[in-house]
Amino acid sequence: MKKLILIIVSVLLLSLITFFMARLAPGDPLVSYYGDRVERMSMDERQHAIERLGLDGPILEQYVDWLKAALHGDFGISFKYKQDVLTVISGRLLNTLLLGGIGFILTFAFALLLAVVCAYKENTLLDRAICKVGTITSCIPEFWLSLVLILLFGVTWHLLPSSGAYALGMSHSVASRITHLILPLSVVVLSHLWYYAYMLRNKLLDETRQEYVLLARAKGLTRRQVMWKHCVRNLLPTMIAIMAISINHILGGTYIIEMVFSYPGIGTLSFESAKYHDYNMLMVLVIITGIIVIVGNILGQTISERIDYRMRAPESDGDLFADEKEVSRNA
Amino acid sequence: MRNTTNLRNEARRFDIVGAGKRYAADAIPKTASTASKSRFAKGRFSKGRAGKGFPVFSAAVLLVILLGCIFYGAFVSSDPSRMALDQINVAPCSSHWFGTDTLGRDIWSLIWFGGRKSLFIGALATLISTLIAVVYGTLSGLANKTIDSLMMRFTEILLSIPSILLIVFMQAVIGQRNVVGISIIIGITGWMSIAKMVRTEVRKIRESDYVLISRMMGGSFSHVLRKHLAPNFFSTIMFMIVMNIRSAIVSESTLSFLGIGLPVDIITWGSMLSLSEKALLTGSWWIILIPGVFLVITLLCITSLGEYLRGGGGRIHGNL
Amino acid sequence: MNHKTLEIQNLSVVFNTDRGRICALRDLSLHIDQGEILAVVGESGCGKSVLCKTIMGLLPPVAEITGGSIAIGGHETVHLTDRQFADLRGVDLSMVFQDPMTSLDPTYTIGAQIVESIRVHNRNISSNEAKAKAIALMDTVGIERAKERFDSYPWMLSGGMRQRCVLAMALSQEPALLIADEPTTALDVTVQSEILDLLLKLRDEKNMSILFITHDLGVVARVADRVAIMYAGKIVEEGLASEIYKNPVHPYTWGLLHALPAFAEKGMLFPIPGSPPNVPEGFAADAFAVRNEHALRIDYEQAPPFFEITPTHKAATWLADPRAPKIQFGKDRPDTPPDPVQTPFCEDGAASAPKADILPTILQVRHLSHTFKLGRRSSVEAVKDVSFDIHKGEVFALVGESGSGKSTLARCILGLHKPQQGQIHYDARFIPDQRRIGFVSQDPGAALDPKMTVRDLIAEPMEILRLYRSKRDIETRIAALMDEVGLDQDLWNRYPAELSGGQKQRVTIARAYSMEPNLIVADEPLASLDVSIQAQIVELFDAMRRQHDTAILFIAHDLSMVEFLSDRVGVMYHGQLVETASAKELFANPQHPYTKALLSAVPVPDPDVERGRRK
Repeated sequence: MKKLILIIVSVLLLSLITFFMARLAPGDPLVSYYGDRVERMSMDERQHAIERLGLDGPILEQYVDWLKAALHGDFGISFKYKQDVLTVISGRLLNTLLLGGIGFILTFAFALLLAVVCAYKENTLLDRAICKVGTITSCIPEFWLSLVLILLFGVTWHLLPSSGAYALGMSHSVASRITHLILPLSVVVLSHLWYYAYMLRNKLLDETRQEYVLLARAKGLTRRQVMWKHCVRNLLPTMIAIMAISINHILGGTYIIEMVFSYPGIGTLSFESAKYHDYNMLMVLVIITGIIVIVGNILGQTISERIDYRMRAPESDGDLFADEKEVSRNA
Repeated sequence: MRNTTNLRNEARRFDIVGAGKRYAADAIPKTASTASKSRFAKGRFSKGRAGKGFPVFSAAVLLVILLGCIFYGAFVSSDPSRMALDQINVAPCSSHWFGTDTLGRDIWSLIWFGGRKSLFIGALATLISTLIAVVYGTLSGLANKTIDSLMMRFTEILLSIPSILLIVFMQAVIGQRNVVGISIIIGITGWMSIAKMVRTEVRKIRESDYVLISRMMGGSFSHVLRKHLAPNFFSTIMFMIVMNIRSAIVSESTLSFLGIGLPVDIITWGSMLSLSEKALLTGSWWIILIPGVFLVITLLCITSLGEYLRGGGGRIHGNL
Repeated sequence: MNHKTLEIQNLSVVFNTDRGRICALRDLSLHIDQGEILAVVGESGCGKSVLCKTIMGLLPPVAEITGGSIAIGGHETVHLTDRQFADLRGVDLSMVFQDPMTSLDPTYTIGAQIVESIRVHNRNISSNEAKAKAIALMDTVGIERAKERFDSYPWMLSGGMRQRCVLAMALSQEPALLIADEPTTALDVTVQSEILDLLLKLRDEKNMSILFITHDLGVVARVADRVAIMYAGKIVEEGLASEIYKNPVHPYTWGLLHALPAFAEKGMLFPIPGSPPNVPEGFAADAFAVRNEHALRIDYEQAPPFFEITPTHKAATWLADPRAPKIQFGKDRPDTPPDPVQTPFCEDGAASAPKADILPTILQVRHLSHTFKLGRRSSVEAVKDVSFDIHKGEVFALVGESGSGKSTLARCILGLHKPQQGQIHYDARFIPDQRRIGFVSQDPGAALDPKMTVRDLIAEPMEILRLYRSKRDIETRIAALMDEVGLDQDLWNRYPAELSGGQKQRVTIARAYSMEPNLIVADEPLASLDVSIQAQIVELFDAMRRQHDTAILFIAHDLSMVEFLSDRVGVMYHGQLVETASAKELFANPQHPYTKALLSAVPVPDPDVERGRRK
């Protein structure tokens, strides 16, 4: 319940901030509704338009009006598509969630695997080689990696389609969707993989330094058993917390990749809106993205805390507080 | 004769000479624990700390790129922005080492000319971010609980929007398509994570024993800030700052590539890559690969410098 | 064939580090018979833990066994692969670790962890059987209400309980050999004594052999049949417990014993100077020579062999050589005894020992209470109605177990907590305005800003309080202070990370004295230090107390050091000050039952006394 309130307050604040930024911006707000037509408007028409759009009142009032309309599902009209903003977005949201979601899961699945391999083989040639290669991949910007893959698989070898979400007129063909997903998905995974794998590797190495590892080995468990049964299990809450805060990075990456592959998701939409100054659309896109991230964050944190709290005492701070720690523990 | 001297020497060996002048740890040749301790001492910038040594190679490459960009005039004769319409999409050859782009410009000269602006944007944006972050983070770290949590809630909301989307949004709303304008936009959208770290450090240091003791002795706020807070958190956030340069460069190039950032006539590595769509159609790989490789190498060098600053070496060996 | 449970011969282990190969164990031999407890004693850093890990086959990859053999129950183990060794661990030998807080996996219930240790070597056992066996084991190690506790997570249990759990795991396959690596160091005195009794009981019932690793000679006296003293990776003296305590031959053994207050002579401790070294490969001389007042010339040239003192007692020191001069330890100590400056409370000062109430009171605590809120409803009274005085120049010790409210009380006096009830008067002034109280904390590492040099650290209070006009005055004072606390002048520009634990604590002491306070609050200043270093620091406190007229509020849980240092002692129990008396009186004739329990739980470094105490 508390979390729900937190989500609502966060989303409201987010929309407020976005609204203010869009409205306080230098430039004519009418442009966002009428675009180039504004220049051809007479003074009367202008005045009329401003009143009709409620742009004459104080900004807070405008926000309240906007919010009221938004609660009824009316986010205004996209200038570029001449359509209700929500209609345009709803057609594409699923595409983005598909690409981002699968990418997210694959990224962390591979990251954990790599982390375990590296931690298990710590300081061996394999570990060092993975680290070197990983660092290089983590330095490649998403858009350039996409370009290179398109150049190789699309242009040079003609192996995989390099734009769109499905071949023309085949929106229901699963096979077509899958082949169109391969390249963008690889970029999503490749460009984020090492950042998180390295983080998990280091956390896992910290785990292998814990004394419980010695105890588990002293019991007679093999190294592999200790790694999977104890170290990875201890890593889980941390990993879920990392996953929670990583949503915005991976989503941001997905947007860029969508754009390069002309994938019809909300990422492509948002960059196009920016290009054509479709403020109304862009504002809603920012808010929707924010909602996805905030909900994901809080969900992840809640899960992680749940798991963690059951297992560990709430930590207190500072060594000078030795007494108090003990006291609160006894209580 | 010889025997007696031997005996005498033998006897002398059992004389009491007492403890070594300096005790133990120093008298035996310096090894692990003592030597390793002194390495940390000179602070984060000393050479040869535990774990990773100074990345000489990366630093050298970065220096070459940096110098090349600054003094490009010395070895690049042709005007980089000159469009030779009769020479578009020329593959790398002896007259154009890196070929020409779809507008007929020489890529070799573009690289050095554009790198200058790319690096400048990275530096300026980071400077702006760092300034905001340090002020905001310190305030939040020193404020009382309510204000602190409000300030942190605000950064978290901003952080919930992917930075590239935030930049695009700001750019669409107030953006000016020039170098300083874009640096400012990248700067004012990229301070949040540093600010959070500053705030965490400030909180940690402020509650540390040595600050408590200093305050107990009557150390004033400015004394604590000057003597304890600043020196301690700056060394921690150095890594973040360097990494911020990297992400600022990436942001600019992505933005320009997408056609939202700098226009083609303001040359950066990003705006050079914005021609790649046309290049894909003609299969001119060099237009895509060459600026990208320069970009990646620069980022790689910055990263290894950052990793060095973060330290993280000196782990004790594992129990597994 | 009757094999020894453990037999180690000429074992050498080398660590490959960035700065060369370091010998962790050097030509080490020892053995344990069935049902015997062998204690291995030494300062931290002398290779005790490496010894444990080597026997358990748990050395990290950077370590390498360069020679020698280990036989467990007659089977050679040095050449076993990790897989093969895994089948041995827990079955033939098992281990108990120092800190039960960290050695249990926090993500499993203790029941699950005990069951795991049963099932590793016994895959066919059904889960019900395993659970029953686990509960039986928990009973054996004295965990009450085992069935309920089976599903508890480690953090729900106290330290003593957790250590019992670890012990239960170690016993699950009834191993012939138990390695206990400082199993009681992290525990409170009363709990420590229970665990020691448990170990002795288990030994008697199961005829198990125990390799007991510790630095606490009091604990050793209680449990050990034989004792081996370890220094720089080598055994330097080995013998029956009584032989080691009554007739130490090696100067290191003597030093360890005489760093203890129980062996203090004429109010003096004999701390071993310096700290243990790391020995590089190929080091030929005696590693202890540099810290040895009685080192012979040959010690610097050649490592001593073992000399047999009695059939059970041997020592590796040239002093035992018939050609060596006969030495009486502690007699020709180069340091002259401290000036006979009489402190007001010097117990045996036959001269005019003034009565406590004549001296001016510098700290007056009256009816002090402090409550912590835990959440909305619950709260804990950490300090309840405490009143006491501290007089000028005296050492007042506060003793109690962790959680008894000592530190909270100290923080109230330091002005870090606003007193909620009661008053604290300091020098007839009200506390929160009074900053001139020196403070020495438990963890010198945390108390020193890592980015400041020793000079800046000591200068800080003087600069804040503007005690001196010029920089030069401050620096003269720093030099004098560093001299007083025994810090070398070349440490002037060092950072805390470059200092050893003892040196760091010396810096905090110098800093505390630099503001010329009337009172110093020392909150467990010895807790993080090794015994021999503890003795150095206690002696330093004693010397400083003689030099300055500063009163010390000394908070500790180590009663022996308290007895040595303090004039008066207050005992805290559950937030209350249950007894206050002069040190002599309190130790001779404790009144409160808790004080009695506390005193009787302290192990005394004398095997005869301790043996009598065994239950």
